[in-house]
Amino acid sequence: MLIFIIRRLVQAIPTLLLSSVLIFFIISLAPGDFLTPAKLNPGITQQQLDNLARNFGLDKHPVEQYLLWMKNMLFRGDLGLSFSYQQPVMQIIWPRVLNSMYLVILLQILYYLIAIPIGVYGAVKQNTLWDKSVNVVMYFLLGFPNFFLALIAIYFLVQLQFKTGITLPIGGMTSNGFSEMGPLEKFWDVLKHLLIPASLVAIHSTAGFSRILRALTLDVLHSDYVRTARAKGVSERSAIWKHTVRNAILPIVAGLGGELPALISGAGFIEVVFAYPGITPMLLDALTASDLYLIAGFTVITTVLLVVGNILADLLTAVVDPRVKAA
Amino acid sequence: MKKALFLVAALAASTSLAAPFVYPAAWTAEPNTANKRGGEYRNATISDFKTFNPFTSAESTSIPNTMALGASLFTQDPRNDSYLPKMAESMPVISNNNKRFVVKIRQGMKFSDGQEITADDWVTTAKIHTDDKVGSNSYDSFFLSDKPITVKKIDKYTLQFDFPNVSASAYGIMSYTPWPDHIFGDAYRKGGAAAVKALWSLSTNPSQIVSPGAWVLESYQAGERAVLRANPRYGEWNKDSAGNAVPYLARYSYRIVKDINAQLAAYLAGQIDTFGPRNADDLAQIKKAIDGGNLKATLIPNVSPAASSQWITFNWNKAGDPFKQKLFRDVRFRQAMSHIANRQAMVQLALGGLGVETYYSVYPVFKNYIFDSAPKYKYDLAAATKLLAQMGFTKKNAQGWLVDKSGKVLEFNLSTNAGNNTREQLGRIFADEAKKVGVKVNFTPIDFNTLVGQLTAKGDNRPFDAILLGLANGGNTWPFGVNVVPCGTNLHSWNNPTDGKCLTSKEQLMSKLYYQGDATLDLAARRKVGEQLLKAEAENQAVIYLVGGTYHVTFNERLGGEYPRSLMDSYYLSRDTDLTFVK
Repeated sequence: MLIFIIRRLVQAIPTLLLSSVLIFFIISLAPGDFLTPAKLNPGITQQQLDNLARNFGLDKHPVEQYLLWMKNMLFRGDLGLSFSYQQPVMQIIWPRVLNSMYLVILLQILYYLIAIPIGVYGAVKQNTLWDKSVNVVMYFLLGFPNFFLALIAIYFLVQLQFKTGITLPIGGMTSNGFSEMGPLEKFWDVLKHLLIPASLVAIHSTAGFSRILRALTLDVLHSDYVRTARAKGVSERSAIWKHTVRNAILPIVAGLGGELPALISGAGFIEVVFAYPGITPMLLDALTASDLYLIAGFTVITTVLLVVGNILADLLTAVVDPRVKAA
Repeated sequence: MKKALFLVAALAASTSLAAPFVYPAAWTAEPNTANKRGGEYRNATISDFKTFNPFTSAESTSIPNTMALGASLFTQDPRNDSYLPKMAESMPVISNNNKRFVVKIRQGMKFSDGQEITADDWVTTAKIHTDDKVGSNSYDSFFLSDKPITVKKIDKYTLQFDFPNVSASAYGIMSYTPWPDHIFGDAYRKGGAAAVKALWSLSTNPSQIVSPGAWVLESYQAGERAVLRANPRYGEWNKDSAGNAVPYLARYSYRIVKDINAQLAAYLAGQIDTFGPRNADDLAQIKKAIDGGNLKATLIPNVSPAASSQWITFNWNKAGDPFKQKLFRDVRFRQAMSHIANRQAMVQLALGGLGVETYYSVYPVFKNYIFDSAPKYKYDLAAATKLLAQMGFTKKNAQGWLVDKSGKVLEFNLSTNAGNNTREQLGRIFADEAKKVGVKVNFTPIDFNTLVGQLTAKGDNRPFDAILLGLANGGNTWPFGVNVVPCGTNLHSWNNPTDGKCLTSKEQLMSKLYYQGDATLDLAARRKVGEQLLKAEAENQAVIYLVGGTYHVTFNERLGGEYPRSLMDSYYLSRDTDLTFVK
């Protein structure tokens, strides 16, 4: 086990190195830089542009910039300084990542709570009216981008308020006057703000996952060993949950590694639409502003997490599936 | 006896506060006669705050700028654009041929931490802004044609500004915010630029932030909300016309909402107090909510033209393509292109009817500098055809495009930044109209950064034909671009050779008039120069101005104290937060 982990970690070094090169140069290759928008300001002089370029190190060759960045990262754990915030990248992204994590964890819980029963039940009750109507809804959701769903939801929330006077939070993470609340009130306030966006994303992502789970369950459900188990007289409940779902879910466990970076990379556009202070709105700003080190720094962190997540997923598969050994 | 009394009076005067700044009653349509105090003005902003540090801040809506509201030596009167003394006790004493300004500041003004505001704060602030290692956005404003403006302390309450030459913008330049010397000055003296840059980042505890202005930071939640509270020290030297301290409000907050549709939803639901409507759709939704009784708000559409412009520029530096270079350098061609621009259709189709036709670089909202003597080349396809015929484009080929004697088709590429729907529509309309007279316009939206790179390229063979883009920013004192009009500057987009020299006598005249106007202190005289410059610019048609949007105002009924309708415009906006109150 230990040898397996060490080997995987050593293998990760070239992967990370190569990805850091790609990340940095793909961003640098994009036309323009952080100062491009400033050039369109009718009041700014060339001298001031030169000053800023020198301060930001943008006058250096990209290779030199990369080596400097790499050196600081390796020897000081410093991901660089954001141009627009003038602060170390880690300091800026950390509060956002934390906010995103609240949302993502809640939505993951909701997501599994909804998707697993729907997927399994759909397989067991294949081709019944219930299965077919769920299918229709799921295919409909599959064709919808989630931010659009969110905009529609906001529209209905505003209409609801107009018609009934019920005020639900339609954005943000906290209400006005949050700082004066007690701890329990604070928790409830945040949860209230989280619930609508989290359920929207959870329901939306259910569409894809429940389809896959339904197909995998169907596969296993018709396999010989399940028939054998039933013939032996195990209860229907045990036949489904113990013998079928546990086997059907293996490919999904193997893919869990990809979920670790998802924990910190936020819920995407839903955060933008709901004005949620997660990582996505900030990253979008950074992208449009060409805030090189902020984007690169964040991407490096997600890449590291992806590698770690994959190692963890491999270990987990070995635990769940006795046929696989971590050696 | 008399002498003793005088001494007592003098002592009393020096310990009590000097006369406060009194807000003119005419600045608000709805005076706060009942002296209502407290409450929160809830605003929204599209982009997260980046820093609390006034020296590294570069955003348009920023925490330092909001805190500093009201903290400047002089302030502009929206009634007539003139400057009034704000932190200054009176107007300055001017000497040395309009180049030296001696300013007395009000005595007894204090920062939010209780420390007195003195001449040192202005001197230190200027020193830090002009250190190129700090990278301050205000760096440029302390120089006039590369020569520094010096700020000197005469005594604790007296400042002396020396300008290298006469400048129309002198009052604007002197009106920078003084930041505390006891914080920034100390850091600067100990650790230089790096120490200043390290101060007041987003992770700084708001209790350490100090403000000279109306507001001071109370709390900030990353990416979500910033709350500022009224600075009581500011109220000591700022009063309304009835003698009450301002601001009336207890708090001023920003919610950070990146999606404008979500911002609109929050406004409709009454969760924020104001919103900047972009287009007819936004206006319609707000009107519907007001008419339906769901939202109690004021909506004033089309308050004034916006302080921005959209234009097409033609590249005069095309050594690699002599045909096009000759074409673009011909004033008749450019006038013809202005005749082709169907500005009315642009306003109707691209701006939903909410816009104005523009013909000059000066934004139409700055009425003081728009003159009828400057020619307008209005939409007139026949006139365009005639001008092009004079240039030798009389025949059309089989496809219907105009050709010259050698059979060369009259065509050029026009690009704009992809993703900007308005500009894409403007370009489309322009290309369609050009087709009617036989000019082939290849219109392609491209990446914004690539476009800016092309536009600001220098040399004799610059990489574009024509670009459709827009500009914003700039004040109303001398509303021509320092970076646009004079030859050799960055946004002198039509002609930017390596040596930065003017090509035509018109351009030379424009550069000369620009600097002449900029160095004219008297408004009437400056307007005269402005008229000549506007005329030269319009005749030259180096840049063809198209249309501009309009500015709309809407705010929740719970707010009072807005400007009278006649003072609202896209430059002064709709209210002074000092006079704003919650009903």
